[in-house]
Amino acid sequence: MSFEQILFYVFSSFLVLSAGAVVTLRNPVHSALALVLAFFNSAALWMMLEAEFLAITLVLVYVGAVMVLFLFVVMMLDINIARMREGFAQLLPIGIVVAVLMFGVMYQVYNGDRFAPGDMPVPTPHAADYENTRELGLQLYTTYVFPFELAAVVLLLAIVAAIALTLRRREGTKYQAPEKQVVTRREDRVRLVKVPSEARK
Amino acid sequence: MTESLHNILVAIVLAPLIGSILAGLFAGPLGRKGAHTVTIVGVAIACLLSMYVFKRIAIDEIGVFNQTIYTWLKSDGISFEVGFLVDNLTAMMMVVVTFVSLMVHVYTIGYMSHDEENWPEGSGAGVNSYQRFFSYISLFTFSMLMLVMANNFMQLFFGWEAVGLVSYLLIGFWSVRETAVFANLKAFLVNRVGDFGFILGIAGVLMYFNTLDYASVFAVAEQHKDLTMNIWGDEQWSVMTVICILLFIGAMGKSAQVPLHVWLPDSMEGPTPISALIHAATMVTAGIYMVARMSPLYELSETALTFVMIIGALTAFFMGLLGLIQNDIKRVVAYSTLSQLGYMTVALGVSAYAAGVFHLMTHAFFKALLFLGAGSVIIAMHHDQDMRNMGGLRKYMPWTWGTSLVGSLALIGAPGFAGYYSKDSIIMAVGASHLPYADLVYVMVLAGVFITALYSFRMYFLVFHGEPRMDEHTKEHLHECPRVVTWPLIALAVPSVAAGAVFVSSMPFGDFFDGAIKVAHEHDTLAHVGEHFHGWFSMFLHGFVALPTWLAAAGVGTAYYLYMKRPDIPAMIERKLSLVHWVLDNKYGFDAFNQGVIAAASRGLGRFLWKVSDLLLIDGLVVNGSAKSVGLLAAVTRHLQSGYLYHYAFVMIVGLLALFGIFILQ
Amino acid sequence: MDLTLTSFAPAMPEMFLLGMLSLVLVVDLFLTERTRHITYILSLLSLAGTFWLVLDGYPRLPELAFHGSYINDPMAALLKLFMLLAVMVVLVYSKEYIKQRDMYKGEFYLLVLFATLGMLVLASAHTLLTVYMGLELLSLSMYAMVALRRDNVDASEAAMKYFVLGAMASAMLLYGMSLVYGATGTLDFALMGEAAAKLPTNDVTMLFGIIFMLVGVAFKLGAVPFHMWVPDVYHGAPTAVTLFISSAPKLAAFAMLMRIFVDGLGELHQQWQGILIVMALLSFGLGNLVAIAQTNLKRMLAYSGISHIGFLLLGVLSGTSEGYAASLYYAITYVVMSLGGFGMILLLSRAGFEADKLDDLKGLNDRSPWFALMMMMLMFSMAGVPPFLGFWAKLAVIQAAVGVGLVWLAIAAVVFSVVGAFYYLRIIKLMYFDKPESDAPIESSADLRILLSANSLAVVGLGLFPSSLLAICSASIG
Repeated sequence: MSFEQILFYVFSSFLVLSAGAVVTLRNPVHSALALVLAFFNSAALWMMLEAEFLAITLVLVYVGAVMVLFLFVVMMLDINIARMREGFAQLLPIGIVVAVLMFGVMYQVYNGDRFAPGDMPVPTPHAADYENTRELGLQLYTTYVFPFELAAVVLLLAIVAAIALTLRRREGTKYQAPEKQVVTRREDRVRLVKVPSEARK
Repeated sequence: MTESLHNILVAIVLAPLIGSILAGLFAGPLGRKGAHTVTIVGVAIACLLSMYVFKRIAIDEIGVFNQTIYTWLKSDGISFEVGFLVDNLTAMMMVVVTFVSLMVHVYTIGYMSHDEENWPEGSGAGVNSYQRFFSYISLFTFSMLMLVMANNFMQLFFGWEAVGLVSYLLIGFWSVRETAVFANLKAFLVNRVGDFGFILGIAGVLMYFNTLDYASVFAVAEQHKDLTMNIWGDEQWSVMTVICILLFIGAMGKSAQVPLHVWLPDSMEGPTPISALIHAATMVTAGIYMVARMSPLYELSETALTFVMIIGALTAFFMGLLGLIQNDIKRVVAYSTLSQLGYMTVALGVSAYAAGVFHLMTHAFFKALLFLGAGSVIIAMHHDQDMRNMGGLRKYMPWTWGTSLVGSLALIGAPGFAGYYSKDSIIMAVGASHLPYADLVYVMVLAGVFITALYSFRMYFLVFHGEPRMDEHTKEHLHECPRVVTWPLIALAVPSVAAGAVFVSSMPFGDFFDGAIKVAHEHDTLAHVGEHFHGWFSMFLHGFVALPTWLAAAGVGTAYYLYMKRPDIPAMIERKLSLVHWVLDNKYGFDAFNQGVIAAASRGLGRFLWKVSDLLLIDGLVVNGSAKSVGLLAAVTRHLQSGYLYHYAFVMIVGLLALFGIFILQ
Repeated sequence: MDLTLTSFAPAMPEMFLLGMLSLVLVVDLFLTERTRHITYILSLLSLAGTFWLVLDGYPRLPELAFHGSYINDPMAALLKLFMLLAVMVVLVYSKEYIKQRDMYKGEFYLLVLFATLGMLVLASAHTLLTVYMGLELLSLSMYAMVALRRDNVDASEAAMKYFVLGAMASAMLLYGMSLVYGATGTLDFALMGEAAAKLPTNDVTMLFGIIFMLVGVAFKLGAVPFHMWVPDVYHGAPTAVTLFISSAPKLAAFAMLMRIFVDGLGELHQQWQGILIVMALLSFGLGNLVAIAQTNLKRMLAYSGISHIGFLLLGVLSGTSEGYAASLYYAITYVVMSLGGFGMILLLSRAGFEADKLDDLKGLNDRSPWFALMMMMLMFSMAGVPPFLGFWAKLAVIQAAVGVGLVWLAIAAVVFSVVGAFYYLRIIKLMYFDKPESDAPIESSADLRILLSANSLAVVGLGLFPSSLLAICSASIG
């Protein structure tokens, strides 16, 4: 077994374990952290496939940004685990049956000849001056420019949708109005009142 | 030449139809005068053109016209067409139908002029009833023409049903009278029985000949002579016999032969003009015409011919007897019609088709005359039809009296009158027949002559002679009917006298119907009789020494004695022979049997089918049952939609798994 | 590398729509409640302009663009025309309704435009990737639209269900795509067919992928057993949104089905036919049965929609070009009828009152004979009564199924359409023979009334001349 293979199996098994942990852990914060670990492991696997750009993007975007945000949300929301688990025991047997069946089918498919290690040619490693990022960019902006642009539109849509669903102006909420703040003059805010002195009684 | 005839024939058929449509659908705008004008003009056109066609076909002998006018549809190699077959037989029928129809149209103007009195106040059906009546009789003329001019069974059936429909409508014309409604329902139902046989017969023709065209069927009929069929069991039936008898069952319904005759006396509930037109002169003879037209088929089955003959004889004799005890003037004429139809049927049975059709023609004239005469009396009597309230009308209604006398003499077969020639031909033909039971039938038809004379003159004497028995009020208003009534009577009286002598040498004893009617040599009774035929005048003279004439004279004499000299005797006979009178009074129990057994059983069956098979099985189990089970299923399956998200997700997964199960693991 | 303008030209309508969408987005920022109609008009103009561009660029032969990612062929153009038309109708129908329900905001129009863009992309997709992007664009917009009345409990619940199930379906679709990509080595439909033809018959991976993808498509179409979202979402969503979801997106889903399974995997027809037969049978069976038990008009129309999808699948599964044309015809027909049906609910609704129960239709004839007549025609058409449009559509798909020997399936379809006739006719009974429960006058704007009448009359008009539209559909499938 080569060093590469050993590495592959290490990362793969961690990936599977951590993915399992995401689903099974009781504490949602722990689940989120396990997901982070899963991302790391898949990034490592991509790295081994010479997909450096994707690997780094995965870590930067998902681990660095998305998951952190996600952790915040999980911590801020009060998720009642106990209530969510109601009926779990009842549904477990059916769930297990379905899962086993699913696994059986998957096994049937992947045990076929297409996915055995020998069926795919061993990729030849690229030369040292091969730039993964550049190649990806070339593909994205030529062959796949249409879906790529569409992805941009989807992001725009996501922004619009998110705003549409969350932005609300409640009655009575207080807002700052910076455009008014900057144009205020002293006269608007300070009123000098001359208070006449009164003689003591 | 045929081309112009083509247009003329279409015109003959369409003229009454157009008249009928105009009078029926535009009753309001046309008004009474407009309605009877358009229909009379339509029928008059048809009548004149029919005469022209008769001249061309029968006298100029330009040949048979047989042409398809319009192909309705073709299905599975069989054409359904409208086509005309016009030969001497058809031409004669066309003239008879349109002429009598025209007379009746004119007569109706007088008869129906006060029709509004027949409807209760504010009756919706009474509105425009006058126009509707004209529309119906024109429609009848159209239907009857379609029937007689048909060159295929499909059109024959159309005409057959159409005249039945109009007959139904007209019998029940006064739809506010319960008896009229009962009568038209009865006519309809009884005819249904006949028509069922008729359509089975047509189906048989279609099955074995694979065509509906007359000419094609007749051309190959001979080859099918020995075919047999299996109806049930192992019994083999001659196809020809089965088809002929089935067709004849249709004729029995339409031409009111025993035992399907029961509707005809009741049909007298209709207005008298249609009794004359439909139930005496034309429609009821459709069966006779049809059998004559089918002679190439009937000639192939002696069994069928015997059957026809016996049915005819039974009708001729027993229905005549019933005429003796009727008091309603129209019913007497109705029973005499039944009896005369029986004579025609007997003629068909002994293969004397020509004599039968000849009698059909003469009968059409004198029976229409008698009916219209009776109608004239009824008008004068303010729609009282009971002969016991009449008497002595001769001096009030000379024209009606004279024409009725002519009609009666023609009916009983007084030498020289039309009926003499036709009826005597039939009787002689029966005498010459070799069919089984022909001897018995001969006796029955001879006895029928006596009976005919007896009831005819009983009616004549009761109505026109003796002491007037009507109440004073009626008596004061007695007077001859207007000319629209009397002229048709006169016009019909002429052929009632003359038609026999004019046509006797050509129709029954000549070659007039050659080509139209086919008689097998061994059945040719008329040819046998014809050997002794030496012109109309010698036949006329022979009449004074022939047995039927003496029987008729005896009948007249008896009637005179019983009803003029000793009116007490009939009452005494009635007492002495109370059983016979009871049987006759109940019309041999046909009506009781039909209503008590057949109708009751049908109602019982209908009730059973309604309650059990319709309400319980079909409505309950099939219709509502399936609807309910669908509803139940819907109510159950809607609970699949639980509203829980995880259920939905689960269903998706299970669906996915099921698809895998079906399509991957197989 | 070809980046000249000509290679983009076929996608002109999409680009125009995206540009206009951005314009609306910016313009709407400066509008207030009173001037919101500018957004409305701009949106309509965008759609109309796109419509014109599609019509202008109506192709005789298929044109590819963007390196084979995009195809403009007659089917795409026809579908786009009807999609755009349907969306315009939706906007007109829903204007009053959303005003009364605090949804009259720029976002509604923006989301509609985004969804429309997604549909156009789907109609023209020529790679699996484009299909997926188009689908996401469409789906995301619709999730948001359903949730737009966020203070409404029903709508939020519906949106949640729709989103979660939609995400699942999306994932399955994506998974299936990856498997098919793995098996064929290409995303491009033109190459996929060739690659698939070379595979051994009954290649398990391929079949696996096909099933997963079909689940995704079936979800979008709302075919049983992936239909569970349909009744809840149709019911819960604001009627204006339901109107939208039930109309043009069905055309997009049909396009997706055609693109993936006919353009891409047409060679493997034998493998996916069986799955579609199961789905079709279940769809028109369950849809028609359960519709009977509904008391809510929107839910009933949802189940009726499910059954219509079953009929639509009949044509596609036959695998002949007649069948595809018949299904295309059916899809268009369904959209026309569905617009009319939900439009009627919008017509009868007013501020604070949803006319979405069957009882609300009681005695409509007394309240408005004209619209009762319109509704009757729509219901007859949906039930498949000749000579209305729906009859010809049903006839076409059933003929297609019979044409390939699936007589038993055709008989089942006929039987269930008879079962289905019950609930359509019940509506007619309610309208004509029952007494109205309220005598409130129908308040609606003239444009809604006129357009809805035209919509309903189209069902009759197209039904009287069935061959015209069918001929166009046949020509588009070619």
